[in-house]
Amino acid sequence: MTNIVEARSLVKRYGDFTALDGVDLSIPSGSISGLIGPNGAGKTTTMKALVGLCDVEGELEVAGRDPRSARHKLMEEVCFIADVGILPKWLKVAQVLEFVSAVHPKFVRERAEKFLSTTEIPSNKRIKDLSKGMVTQLHLAIVMAIDVRLLVLDEPTLGLDIIYRKEFYDRLLNEYYDGDCTIIISTHQVEEIETLLSHLVFIKNGRITLDSSMNNFADRYFEVVVDPDKLTAADTLEPIYTRELLGKKTYMFEDVPLQQLEPLGEVLTPTVADLFVAKMKEDHHGG
Amino acid sequence: MVVNQFGQFGALLKREIIENRNLFISTPALLAVIFFVFSIWVVSFVPSAEIATGIEYLSMLFDGLSPLQMAPVFLLPAVPFIVTLYICAIIYLINSLYQDRKDASVLFWQSMPVSNLQTVISKVVTICAIAPVFYVAILFVLHLLAVAMLVALGLTYNVQVAGLGYMFMASVLSLLLIYLSAITTALWLLPSIGWLLLFSAFARKTPILWAVGVFILLGFLEDFVFGSQYLANWVESRSNPQQYMFFEFTDVVERLFSYDMLFGVVVGSILISGAISMRRFID
Repeated sequence: MTNIVEARSLVKRYGDFTALDGVDLSIPSGSISGLIGPNGAGKTTTMKALVGLCDVEGELEVAGRDPRSARHKLMEEVCFIADVGILPKWLKVAQVLEFVSAVHPKFVRERAEKFLSTTEIPSNKRIKDLSKGMVTQLHLAIVMAIDVRLLVLDEPTLGLDIIYRKEFYDRLLNEYYDGDCTIIISTHQVEEIETLLSHLVFIKNGRITLDSSMNNFADRYFEVVVDPDKLTAADTLEPIYTRELLGKKTYMFEDVPLQQLEPLGEVLTPTVADLFVAKMKEDHHGG
Repeated sequence: MVVNQFGQFGALLKREIIENRNLFISTPALLAVIFFVFSIWVVSFVPSAEIATGIEYLSMLFDGLSPLQMAPVFLLPAVPFIVTLYICAIIYLINSLYQDRKDASVLFWQSMPVSNLQTVISKVVTICAIAPVFYVAILFVLHLLAVAMLVALGLTYNVQVAGLGYMFMASVLSLLLIYLSAITTALWLLPSIGWLLLFSAFARKTPILWAVGVFILLGFLEDFVFGSQYLANWVESRSNPQQYMFFEFTDVVERLFSYDMLFGVVVGSILISGAISMRRFID
């Protein structure tokens, strides 16, 4: 499988603050990838770098182009939703569609209008008069009417209620994703997207701490509810994270063979959310 | 979907007009309404006999004279509109590359396959050639209403109004002169346009303070370090309001094809290139 995004040693500094500290990233074509990290981890900087909105040091290639020197050409192949609030508030809904159809060669206006006809968004209203959820629906309608190779979604459902959040991902998956395009979603709300993902990237303090396909994830990470008499043996296998729940100790392991873990207790596959917490606390734990 | 460069550029110009409709349409329209109402209010105090005499005098004054020769007469009532256009132009330019960064909509604009060159040039074209069209169009409506009113009054008082046709033609030609003056002045002031765009693209806050502050600082530094005032003198040499008003079409041509104009266009283009470069990355 080829990669649609290849990034090597990306560095971005804002004064004394290092937002990206040597990010290496490979996103396979056709995947739905999640870039997951806590607030301030470098997600937005990474996403902006991918679409040429942020100058970074290092090697970067997206859909065969360097976004830093060919942003506007790249945007024929890539769509970007940064946040729910970025559509210009002074435009009317119909004017947004008119603008996009005049400047984007791959925009199919009829498709966007068909999508909007299933919502309650009136075409003669200004964007400032729409609710936050409606603005997101409108942006999604625009994006879904453009045939691109890569969709970059930076915290697309931030600030929305659960109904709009669920609808956003349902429609994206059911009506847009066809296996040919690639979707990268950044979020700190892991549980919201973990069932969608085929590829997983964790970022923390400007560094990638995990870059794995979901298939590999199930083979590499295990959680063990350790029997009380096996705690010492479990400790020797260097768990990346331990927690205690209802008096039982649960250890998480990375790249430890299953046959070594099975004698220690009940072996479980961790959720992405569990692994995320483990990875984010890894340094504190000393793993 | 077929998209061509002209279509893209047209959409960018349309975007500027919609976003800045208050500066380009509402403001001059409001000014025209005030002007018209004020004129009617003044005329309402004039006795009927004097109105009839005045209309007859105007009709005779313009009758048979070349509208081209008489066009400059109508420049004076256009002065408030031209001054308003310049004030609106400063407001437009200083916000044009700042406002969308402030409200984060720049992320939407930048997510479209439109280059920064096209975006910035669309703003230059808007202020140099598109905004004056609206001001001139509104002046045209004002002239039309004024002449229609004079003709109606003239017919009411049974005085000769044929010459008012010449007057109207002269007023229309004055609009062409005003439009060409606006474009020529915009090119003459291209360094100022470039300077405002540069700081509009650069400043994180209060771009007008940056634009004015840096300019004053540069002038001060030049004086302090070199003991000269070339910068201040150069700006002063381009700031005389008389330079912005052309009374004849030949003056426009003379200004357009002068070395001073060429030098200013080069300096302006360099500053505009700086604004395009600043626009590349929005962090």
